[in-house]
Amino acid sequence: MSAEPALMSLTAIAKAIAEKKVSSREATQSCLDRIEQWQPRLNAFMAIEKEAALQAADEADGALAKGASRGALHGVPLAHKDMYYDVGKVVTCGSKIRRDFVATTTSTALRRLKDAGMVRLGSLQMAEFAYGPTGHNAHFGPVHNPWNVEHITGGSSSGSAAAVAARLTSAALGSDTGGSVRMPAHFCGVTGLKTTVGRVSRAGAMPLSQSLDTVGPLAQSAQDCALLLGLMAGADCEDPTAVAGPLPDYMAATRQPMKDTTVGVPSAFYVDDLDSDVARVLDETVATLKREGARIVKVELPDQRQLSSASQLVLAVEAAAFHKRWMIERPQDYGPQVLMRLQNGLAVPAITYLETMRWRGSALSAHAAATAGVDAVIAPVSPIPAPTIAESDVGNAPEADAVLPRITRFARPVNYLGVPALSIPCGFTRSGLPIGMQLIGRSFDEATLLRIGAAFQRVTDFHQRVPNFA
Amino acid sequence: MTRPGPREIKAMADVVGVPVSPEVATRIAASIGPAFEGFAPIAGTLPFDLEPSDFELVQTAGSSK
Repeated sequence: MSAEPALMSLTAIAKAIAEKKVSSREATQSCLDRIEQWQPRLNAFMAIEKEAALQAADEADGALAKGASRGALHGVPLAHKDMYYDVGKVVTCGSKIRRDFVATTTSTALRRLKDAGMVRLGSLQMAEFAYGPTGHNAHFGPVHNPWNVEHITGGSSSGSAAAVAARLTSAALGSDTGGSVRMPAHFCGVTGLKTTVGRVSRAGAMPLSQSLDTVGPLAQSAQDCALLLGLMAGADCEDPTAVAGPLPDYMAATRQPMKDTTVGVPSAFYVDDLDSDVARVLDETVATLKREGARIVKVELPDQRQLSSASQLVLAVEAAAFHKRWMIERPQDYGPQVLMRLQNGLAVPAITYLETMRWRGSALSAHAAATAGVDAVIAPVSPIPAPTIAESDVGNAPEADAVLPRITRFARPVNYLGVPALSIPCGFTRSGLPIGMQLIGRSFDEATLLRIGAAFQRVTDFHQRVPNFA
Repeated sequence: MTRPGPREIKAMADVVGVPVSPEVATRIAASIGPAFEGFAPIAGTLPFDLEPSDFELVQTAGSSK
């Protein structure tokens, strides 16, 4: 067991608290100590609720002493992206417009984690209204990458990834509409699960695009993600789009071996124009999967550019529709880049939007046919490792217009298809920046991705490495 | 399918009720234009009886029209 509770994985700290080897107060204090140390450097937290967290931890310890455990997360300190409504709490959504918004409901995903006993540490930074891929925020400043603070975290779940990477929280909720879980996970060296559209209720989570939004965890390991998904997934009377039906045992899946698994490597698009370190890590990851018993085959995927374009059109329209009232009444209160992205939605005719929605089933069907022989497709999350904050600062850096589309290129097709994807740390650049790969799966088959990811993480240690504070 | 130009975008924004300046319309045209071009091979080619809910059908049943 690690001497410092904050360094432990979610599953490890939950078990240690349940077995009374570590108290909730010790775990919470350990996280708070690291938050105090790292926050000035990272800007990962939106709010730190030290006293309330310690009080909740003491209550959890008291209950456990009486034999009353609330569930799998009893006494575990966690913080989440500041877009999950928590009744009575300010939920800024990373924005000036909602700087003082107090939630009157609690999101279903968050409530299910609270019901399992989590202790709230505070809330985590994010891109304004989750509409940005880098981690910049015009109102609250950029979140810095713990591996090199000159570099971006990726977005929009910027604080979630930075906080997990620096071990300020053992896991955090993010959201993925256009890569917002996977890109920060890749850039910060943590594990992130983009869930199938409909797998986890979105009730009480800030909307960006009703067709593309997904709730997903970022954590140290696939096993940690499995624990959280198992707690959050399933039907919800507050969200009719959350699909009913029996759920797999995700934790059990992470204990299964790699053998008898077939992994597809795309023959194009995801292997084109890669940074040399990303290309090397992709090759090394495929070699590791093969060594552990996976069968590796080439897959010919349908045109991913068409999927990416459709995804952009859907997101642009739906985001603009959600924000229309504030675009009219409070345009000056948006950061300039977010307002520009929202305005893009004004240019899409209704018929074009509906065509993108009508094509979605056919596109998913074609994808399923192309990947019928494989359990998952492996691909880089992004063609490049984390660029610097300066070179990706849209509006200030001339290179930014070229950098941003490149960052998001490999993320959007998955969102349009609505399928799950697990981003796992797979290596580092020569300069020490993390590189992640995404395992792209079949609709509602997160279990297979978690099984492959966990098997990979049993024989690698990229997910266990921690950035130094030096 | 043609990508909308600044004039069309300005007119659409006016109709929607979120008017934009000609400069903003030009910027929007440049920003969203590539997405229109990427989707152009699909636009106008879809069979008559497709509808958005087919996506959920394929998701859950793996079938499609």
